[in-house]
Amino acid sequence: MVMSLTTYSILVLVLVLAVCVELGDAATAVDAYRLIQYDLDGAPYGSRLAALNHFAGVAPFASGVDLSRTAVILPLRDLNFTLLHEFITGKQQLGGLLFLLPQDTDNARKDTGPIRTILSKLEHLLIHANLPYPVYFAHEDDKINEVLPDVQRGDGTGQPASATTGGLELMTHSFKLVVSTSEPKKLSSPTITNIQGWLPGLKGDGTSQLPTIAVVASYDTFGAAPELSVGSDSNGSGVVVLLEIARLFSRLYSNPNTRGRYNLLFGLTSGGPYNYDGTMKWLRNFDQRIRESIEFAICLNSVGSWDNELWLHVSKPPENVYIRQVYESLADVAKELDVTIGIKHKKINISNSRVAWEHEQFSRVRVTALTLSELSVAPELLHNTGGLSDSRDSVDDTAIQKSIKLVAESLGRHIYGYHGRNVQIFADNSSLALNPFYVKSWLDLLSQTPRVAPFLSKNDAIVSALKKELADHTDEVNVYHETIDGMFTFYDSTRSTLSIYQVTSVGFDFVMLAIIGLYLIVLFTVLVIATRGFDELLLMIRRPPTRKSKAA
Amino acid sequence: MTLFHFLNCALLTFGPHAVYYTATPLSEYDTIGTCVKAAIVYLGTALVKLICLATFLEVSDSDSFNPYQELLKALIGFIDVAGLYFALTQLTHRNISQNHKFQAVGLGWAFADSVLHRLVPLWVGARGLEFTWEYIFQGIEANADLVLNLSLAAIGSLMWLRRNKPKTLIPIIYACAGILATMPSITSYLRRALGWQPPKLVAFELSSSLVMAIISWQLFSACHRPV
Repeated sequence: MVMSLTTYSILVLVLVLAVCVELGDAATAVDAYRLIQYDLDGAPYGSRLAALNHFAGVAPFASGVDLSRTAVILPLRDLNFTLLHEFITGKQQLGGLLFLLPQDTDNARKDTGPIRTILSKLEHLLIHANLPYPVYFAHEDDKINEVLPDVQRGDGTGQPASATTGGLELMTHSFKLVVSTSEPKKLSSPTITNIQGWLPGLKGDGTSQLPTIAVVASYDTFGAAPELSVGSDSNGSGVVVLLEIARLFSRLYSNPNTRGRYNLLFGLTSGGPYNYDGTMKWLRNFDQRIRESIEFAICLNSVGSWDNELWLHVSKPPENVYIRQVYESLADVAKELDVTIGIKHKKINISNSRVAWEHEQFSRVRVTALTLSELSVAPELLHNTGGLSDSRDSVDDTAIQKSIKLVAESLGRHIYGYHGRNVQIFADNSSLALNPFYVKSWLDLLSQTPRVAPFLSKNDAIVSALKKELADHTDEVNVYHETIDGMFTFYDSTRSTLSIYQVTSVGFDFVMLAIIGLYLIVLFTVLVIATRGFDELLLMIRRPPTRKSKAA
Repeated sequence: MTLFHFLNCALLTFGPHAVYYTATPLSEYDTIGTCVKAAIVYLGTALVKLICLATFLEVSDSDSFNPYQELLKALIGFIDVAGLYFALTQLTHRNISQNHKFQAVGLGWAFADSVLHRLVPLWVGARGLEFTWEYIFQGIEANADLVLNLSLAAIGSLMWLRRNKPKTLIPIIYACAGILATMPSITSYLRRALGWQPPKLVAFELSSSLVMAIISWQLFSACHRPV
């Protein structure tokens, strides 16, 4: 009795262990990036779930089919926007959604134009939608491409003909997409980090405060997939222009003979997509004297992909003395570079919380400011913030170089009082020429670094790198940490591993069991007949009934 | 249901051994002790083989066929034969006929071989969500192995236990023994050098084991024919 109890308990233990089904090795495992999940003023947006464990399905689907247990795979190359619209506006419940981004090969680089339009359209659609199922982005790779035709061969929903019974198609495989991760949690008080560099001017006799010129660019991004939002143009281009200008002026200012009589303030702000929240907090923390000494501030926003025309956006009327001065000096340099600068005036509406341009935050604290940008129209909230479509090949190095020459030259002429004179301060082939390799290397670095502010920690590598770079070019660097304004709430879990498993239906297992059982029975009968004789077999079959009759 | 798949494959791999034991007169004569002793001898043999392999074999990263290494492996494979000899001749068995002795030893040997080589991969691999045919093939291989081991045990008992054998058959007996002992090397050669796929390989193993079984059965009954 004791013996049987121990064996029984061992058996139960083994069974319990066995039932913990481990997922094991999958045929394919790729990195998957989740769609951003955020709340704006309490309203939920983005993908609200993270864990995924459903059968894979590929369009086209039969009409009226239930997709609530299917993870739909949509390759981006031929994205069917009407289908996607139906899913989103019809609030159709899906098991999950997987977008396949084209491979980053050299061939793909040639036709990036149409892909970029698809990406930006997709991004606009997704960040304003509320999707109560997991949505992921993954890069196409050979193994996934092999799986797709197999999935399509089924009835599209990917589920086997009947998951529980029947289904004798032994050869049909279904595929399961699995992302095992925990439920997404709110990010409590995400920090945004502003970095400022101060380059003091030459103080003459007298203790009067020198005027200051500020050059500002926001460095963070926002996009549908936070881990893929590298924002090369918005606003990687602005950051690179700022860094190069800082480098050039630090060379000039390092020698007291060539130090100008203006202080230079360089500001790398964060929180750009969220109504320039970081800029506002940075300005509020300013010492009043410094703030009043700012003659004007130039904000840089997306200056990396323009041909002939840049725009100067202002909130004070263009007839204002300071504005006109800055505009004319920029226009002079522009003429020499064979480009034009237009001026656009947009009044600030204090009651509207939307801040479309960075200079508006300066204007709200009564500092003259303007934004230089290739965009002619103010972007909407969370648009043009460096998302999926904004990658390294959407920036043109020569456009950035032109922007640098434009701003540096006009600032230089203003600081040293060379208005109207035909002098090239930062001439090519001089010791103050702009360094294209510096520009390229910083642009490459920024294009490989996703910079969505809530997911950047205080000591993130890129923040430290920017701080160190500004410290090289300026005298004094300060880093300020703030929290994002309460209008936005973000959730974590932005990156996971997606596993694709090839599975068979339970029917298949039953068939296998039947075959193996039959084989064993046949083996048994053959062996009995061969070794003991046919009579023994008959005896064995007849024995149970005789026993029963004996018991009765 | 992945546990289901594991159960299926386990049944395929270990079922035939249990069926063989119960179906043949082995169960009537209660030869389980012999089977267990043979299994333990197999364990000892496997340990000795491991030590020899670790000492003499070089580890190569590629999966290619290296004739010298394979020759060494074949030589070490003969330790198997020595182990079987030990199990057949040196162990004390209860009074069971020679007919049943070789069957019991072969069965115990094959069962230990299956458990040691196939149980852990089955446990770790077949329970996963991903489906492959690999473990079904492994189960079929286990069946072929059982037949091979039984034939080897039969030939072994002929060689070492039977004194009076017809002279003409002796070279054939030794040749069969040689083929059976080197069967693992032959299969690995086919897999690596010729690159045979699992279905083909498994089919070859099944057919060769059946052929060898028939030959050794004929030899056995020929030697036991009253002279």
